[in-house]
Amino acid sequence: MSMTATKMLARDWRGGELGVLVMALVLAVGVVSGISAFTTRLQNALEQESHRFLAADLVVTSGRELPLDWSRSASEKGLQHALTLQFPSMVYVGEESMALASVKAVTDGYPMRGEITYSTEPFGAVRSADTGPGKGEVWLDSRLFALLDVAVGDKVTIGDAQFSVAAAARTEPDQAASFYGYGPRVLMHYDDIPATGVVQPGSRVEYRQLYAGETAAIGEFQQWLEPQLRDGQRAVTVDEGQPRIGSALDRAESFLLLAGSLAVVLAGVAVALAARRFSERHHDYVAIIKSLGATSGTVNRLYGSSLMLLGVIATALGCLMGWGIQALFFSLFAEQLPIQPGPSGVRPYAIGAVTSLTCLFCFAWPPLRRLAHASPLRVLRRDLPMENRQAIYDYVLGLVAVTLLMWWYSGDWKLTLAVLAGLGLTAGLGFCLALTLLRGGRLVGMSAGSIWRLALAGLQRRGTANALQVVIFAMAIMMLLVLLLVRTSLIDEWQAQLPSDAPNHFMINIGPEDVQAIEQTLRAENITSEPFFPMIRGRIMTVKGEELPVTDDVEEGRRQREINFTWSDTLPHENRLVAGEWWQPGTEEALVSLEEEFAARMGLTVGDSVSFLVGSAPLEARVASIRQLQWQSMRPNFFLVFPPRLLVDYPATFMTSFHLDEADKGFLNRFIRRFPTVTVIEMDIVVEQIRTIINQVSAAINLVLVVILAAGALVLIAGVQASVDARVHESAILRALGASRRLILGGLLIEFATLGLFAGTLATLAAELSVYILQTMVMDMNYVPTPWLWPVGVFSGALVIGALGVFSCRRVVSTPPVTVLREL
Amino acid sequence: MIKCDNLQKRVPMAGAELAILKGITLEIKSGESVAIIGASGSGKSTLLGLLAGLDEATAGSVVIDGTDLGALSEDERARFRGQHIGFVFQSFQLLPALTALENVMLPLELQGQNNVEEQARHYLQRVGLQARTGHYPLQLSGGEQQRVALARAFASKPAILFADEPTGNLDTTTGEYIIDLLFELNREEGTTLVLVTHDQVLADLCQRRLRLDGGALVQE
Ligand SMILES: Nc1ncnc2c1ncn2[C@@H]1O[C@H](COP(=O)(O)OP(=O)(O)OP(=O)(O)O)[C@@H](O)[C@H]1O
Ligand SMILES: [Mg+2]
Repeated sequence: MSMTATKMLARDWRGGELGVLVMALVLAVGVVSGISAFTTRLQNALEQESHRFLAADLVVTSGRELPLDWSRSASEKGLQHALTLQFPSMVYVGEESMALASVKAVTDGYPMRGEITYSTEPFGAVRSADTGPGKGEVWLDSRLFALLDVAVGDKVTIGDAQFSVAAAARTEPDQAASFYGYGPRVLMHYDDIPATGVVQPGSRVEYRQLYAGETAAIGEFQQWLEPQLRDGQRAVTVDEGQPRIGSALDRAESFLLLAGSLAVVLAGVAVALAARRFSERHHDYVAIIKSLGATSGTVNRLYGSSLMLLGVIATALGCLMGWGIQALFFSLFAEQLPIQPGPSGVRPYAIGAVTSLTCLFCFAWPPLRRLAHASPLRVLRRDLPMENRQAIYDYVLGLVAVTLLMWWYSGDWKLTLAVLAGLGLTAGLGFCLALTLLRGGRLVGMSAGSIWRLALAGLQRRGTANALQVVIFAMAIMMLLVLLLVRTSLIDEWQAQLPSDAPNHFMINIGPEDVQAIEQTLRAENITSEPFFPMIRGRIMTVKGEELPVTDDVEEGRRQREINFTWSDTLPHENRLVAGEWWQPGTEEALVSLEEEFAARMGLTVGDSVSFLVGSAPLEARVASIRQLQWQSMRPNFFLVFPPRLLVDYPATFMTSFHLDEADKGFLNRFIRRFPTVTVIEMDIVVEQIRTIINQVSAAINLVLVVILAAGALVLIAGVQASVDARVHESAILRALGASRRLILGGLLIEFATLGLFAGTLATLAAELSVYILQTMVMDMNYVPTPWLWPVGVFSGALVIGALGVFSCRRVVSTPPVTVLREL
Repeated sequence: MIKCDNLQKRVPMAGAELAILKGITLEIKSGESVAIIGASGSGKSTLLGLLAGLDEATAGSVVIDGTDLGALSEDERARFRGQHIGFVFQSFQLLPALTALENVMLPLELQGQNNVEEQARHYLQRVGLQARTGHYPLQLSGGEQQRVALARAFASKPAILFADEPTGNLDTTTGEYIIDLLFELNREEGTTLVLVTHDQVLADLCQRRLRLDGGALVQE
């Protein structure tokens, strides 16, 4: 029997539907496993990447010296370790110049993750190093060269010790997250600390012990360490990487999962259609072998084994394709990822195989299983109706399978729901609409010419089948439109967030007396900057009259802490009110506007009272509004905004951000010489990095879109094929009766294009619904209606389906009608 | 031996019922050759389908060599067909995906027999197609396809052979050749032959003729 099965498969390839079935399976497996391998590896790489921001895997910090036996026992456990100490200190050059710096002393092992960068001259070309300065050397922040008027090779003094300036310090992997408050960086060797004599008990210092090693060993060590931590000692592990890249990648991941889910649905539909057609074409075969004595068990075994064989081949090819897709993605990323992503493991391919099995079992098997019930009487009566009774049950099975797969795959029920809502709308509305419209066609069409009469009569004769076809076309088009829309808005939004002239430098600590002079300087140099924001540093003390706890344990939680405020009469650019109202300009009321997450963390809502300490002066205010910020933008953002009148008496400095091209960085040297008290923070390397990653993610997304387009095209092809047999047969008869080529092709074109028009209209409607749900509930974006979608959706539907239909039926005019009639 | 008693077939038709066969009672002895004749639409194919166990009767019974077909399930009837019954059809009904040889081997394989290929080759030679074993049905003429169908029918050594208008799609000369071959094989194998035909020549070659009219047997 197996011989017959393979033979049958080989010969039936010609029918076309097996090709579609296998392609659909291959695509489903390929896209699903490719995308999940890609995201697994990307997450893996990003996690490693985020270790860079700690310079280690685990860090213990404290204001006081940390026990050294911890480091010793870490060594025994096979972990690497390093020490750093950070403290503020004056740096002198002889008697004449000095500056307050933030000194960081590091041991030779530092950093264990990521790298330090330096340059041989201030703001010069960036190089990377595995370790910091040697003993007796310091690396100075580029700004300090100008402030202290030194060059590489000169001597500087810190406390009692003299050091020679070896390089300009540019970046460290674990550069302090909050850059406010500290002065420019000086890097030195850990062993030189005693010689300086500046670190005394009670100085404002931060000790760090850094550990790195195998994930399991680190986890073990952390468990051993944590119970021993005392007050003021904190163990820190990896955060969620950098938030800016993080949120872009989160959305990219949502998009990829959405794409994968849609691929599953599309492939499922294509498989179902192909299997259905395959089964219809095999009804007669089954009748013959049953008349020859095959039982339904034999038939089931025959088709079951054929299907298994196809499934195995398709799954293998699909996994290969998946591997190729992720390899292609990574070849796009390779240069951007500082760390080689680890292998993805077999899980993605297992997911692909499960998808394939599910598609086979829930979409392909039901129509084939019905073959076993085909009546052998068909050998005598070919007009006997086929066994299609269980169709409703099949749809339910398919729907449940698709829902579960999508949910399992994306792990996001909202996303699943958004897609299902679109599909449901298409199916429900589509079926009613299609049925009524196709009925109504009779009135319009009968007066038209003979091509139209032919086409409309054709549409009407197969009313229900056509309605089903319209729904399937609409679903496929809808999913493609959804993906296209989400992709476009995603990429647009990213591009808008980081235009090529996005600010890449911050300037803080600007004294009020310098604001005007700096504005003038920037203008003279043709540098565009954001507005100058006043900045006041204060401490949040009480919330709703209740005093907040004083503790260092919680980094971001509910506690007394230092925050930066600003004031403004108007709602800052790109901020959005989510609660309350913005105040009248010039108000004298004691009001404050809070950032959404900050308000949530502190448990504050509109109308609550909150109090602060600015310097030693208290400040009380009532929460007037809550805002949402665009953290992605490289503009100054503030948790708290007050009305200007309220803060006039408090000491303020100003800040701004501006864009500076790589080539113009020499400006900074001049600028710092002129305004030595202003702190300039360079973000250009980070911004550039984000931009490249976003470009690569965009490229990956476009690639996925292409793959999904292919899946969509398959569904359309399978859908068209479903009705080709009947149409070819009728057309062959018409040809035999003398109808011209033009009449037949014209009729077919009108018939299919009309179906496409209905499908396109429905699809566009449903796509808008899906995208609305997706953007507002899943992707955390703003929904914007897209008028261009309508012409695109509707006409591309008519065009593509019309063309596909005519193409699939072309053989009816290219071969003599006898051949066609004989083959059917 | 085929025995059929008050065999009826009714199908639901737009609310009412359409009676296709209105109580057929007949007996066909082993080795006998019988022709079922009658106008188009008189129910010949329907009767043949019931006698061969391809369909279920609305009422009445068909008993072949002591086995009541009505008491068998669809799968049991399939097995019964495989063991005892062969078919030749007007439209040949070869599997287009299989070669001539494979088509002949198919029923033997379904029965789970050994040296299947040898037997199949023997019957193909018997119908004069030893040179065409590797050809697919679409590469054969109608007459050749019907010869393959004959080889397939006799290869499984059925006790009864049912044929529905075996010459209906063929020209007279080819038809006569097929008829000769059919009766020759029938004599050699000692098969019971039940055939439906419009062809008077073919009908006259049979030992007995049954005429159907409007779903009932009428006297010759
Ligand atoms: N399942 C069915 N449903 C409805 N009508 C049927 C069914 N089976 C048979 N008929 C009808 O019963 C009548 C007899 O059919 P049958 O095929 O047995 O005729 P026939 O004698 O073989 O005709 P022909 O010589 O044209 O082959 C026909 O009118 C046919 O349309
Ligand atoms: Mg008939």
